[in-house]
Amino acid sequence: MKTYLKLLALVVLVAGSTLLMSHPAAAETTLDKVLKEKKLRVAIDVGNPPFGVLGKDGQPDGSDVAVARQMAKDMGVELEFIQVPSTGRIPALLAGRADVTIASISVTTDRAKTVMYCNPNGALSIVILAPKSTALQKPADMVGKRIGITRATLEEATVPKMAPQGTDIVWFDEIGATIQALLSGQVDAVAMTSFAGKTVADGNPDKQIEPKLTVTTAFYGPIVRPGDFELRQWINTWIFLNTQNGTLAAIYKQHTGLDLPTLPTF
Amino acid sequence: MHYVFHFDVVWDHFPELLNGALLTIRLSAIAMVLGLVLGVICAYQASAGPGPVRQAIKLYVEIIRNTPFLVQIFIFYFSLPSIGLRLDANTAAMLAMTINLGAYASEILRSGIEAVPRGQVEAGRALGLSRFQIFRLIILFPALKTVYPALASQFILLMLGSSVVSTISAVELTAITNSLQSTTFRSFEFYFVATGMYLVMALGFRASFIALYWLVFQRGRGA
Repeated sequence: MKTYLKLLALVVLVAGSTLLMSHPAAAETTLDKVLKEKKLRVAIDVGNPPFGVLGKDGQPDGSDVAVARQMAKDMGVELEFIQVPSTGRIPALLAGRADVTIASISVTTDRAKTVMYCNPNGALSIVILAPKSTALQKPADMVGKRIGITRATLEEATVPKMAPQGTDIVWFDEIGATIQALLSGQVDAVAMTSFAGKTVADGNPDKQIEPKLTVTTAFYGPIVRPGDFELRQWINTWIFLNTQNGTLAAIYKQHTGLDLPTLPTF
Repeated sequence: MHYVFHFDVVWDHFPELLNGALLTIRLSAIAMVLGLVLGVICAYQASAGPGPVRQAIKLYVEIIRNTPFLVQIFIFYFSLPSIGLRLDANTAAMLAMTINLGAYASEILRSGIEAVPRGQVEAGRALGLSRFQIFRLIILFPALKTVYPALASQFILLMLGSSVVSTISAVELTAITNSLQSTTFRSFEFYFVATGMYLVMALGFRASFIALYWLVFQRGRGA
């Protein structure tokens, strides 16, 4: 009798656990994790005006920071900023330290090989800036000049392609160093977003920095890890709604002074 | 989270990494030699020089040893142009590294100098040798021999610290690694390989220091 009971108990145990295990538990998506932990980790670059800056109180500010704050609020979760330099925007996301990167990542096919873009939430243009006295009207004028660019940016991807042979391209790790190089005369010209250029020009009126050439224009958007389709879809839905209700346009205008162009979707 | 390793991308760009490593070695080697010379001069002047010179050297050493190397490099590259001296990235890097090493080397040598037995110095004085002759003939060689391990370590630290000069656009190994990883997005692969290259360079320097020690201090000498 005892043996029979033991056998019955064993059968029940095995059958029960098989039933439990046979229900395929879906792998937890990043969106699930964010909602469960009630925390969204966003990678931002606070050295990149006007998209990310450090405000006077030491808190992050800027158009992309404002977008991140509104996004977390609408998602109903806490926001944690992962501050990264320009070169760390994509690595932080891929390494899992952030769930999404909102740091004016311009849409390029090269980046799309390693990350998934959400729909764009803004536009920027890359210009070459130099002091008024420097003669730089067309790309051919770049020959023999030192042009400073920041790594892991759109200008790094585009300027070497349009610069003629004989241009001396100089790379810096952060936009702050690139700006310093221009102001101290270590480089003859720099390439950066027109917004950052305006900040530099306004902050140094005696140097008379002005945009000389437009290199390219681009849309930028948040990026997520490959495979995070649910999070991407949520962000796209959020961008759709906030384009309709004018929130994105208001944030963009407040920080860049420009009207938000019609944002494409893909 | 799955990550597919693409080390073949690193291999495609290996010649560029090698170029960067060569510049690292070149910058470090020149800075080591010049820094050591500067260190020897400062160590000598700190013990045997006139009052104001000793104060100046003490000030120099304390400033260099108590400020970050990165800040020193920035001053050489970004701040000097405002007083009219514009140095290109490699020159600024070499200068900063030399001056940095000079301060540390002079402190290391000072301890080696103090370790030379007083009796030998007194013997030199008794023979009527000048201060400079005493330093050159009696003190320098044994002092160098005593502090050789510490000096070699400082040299390796200098070479590893040269990675910081990537911030002022000197195109050495770290700078090239940064550029490559930012365009190919293979940050793990590139940084892993760069770490390996620094390790190989450091071990290479260490081996040559050991060989140099044998060559200079031990061949045919009993001491």
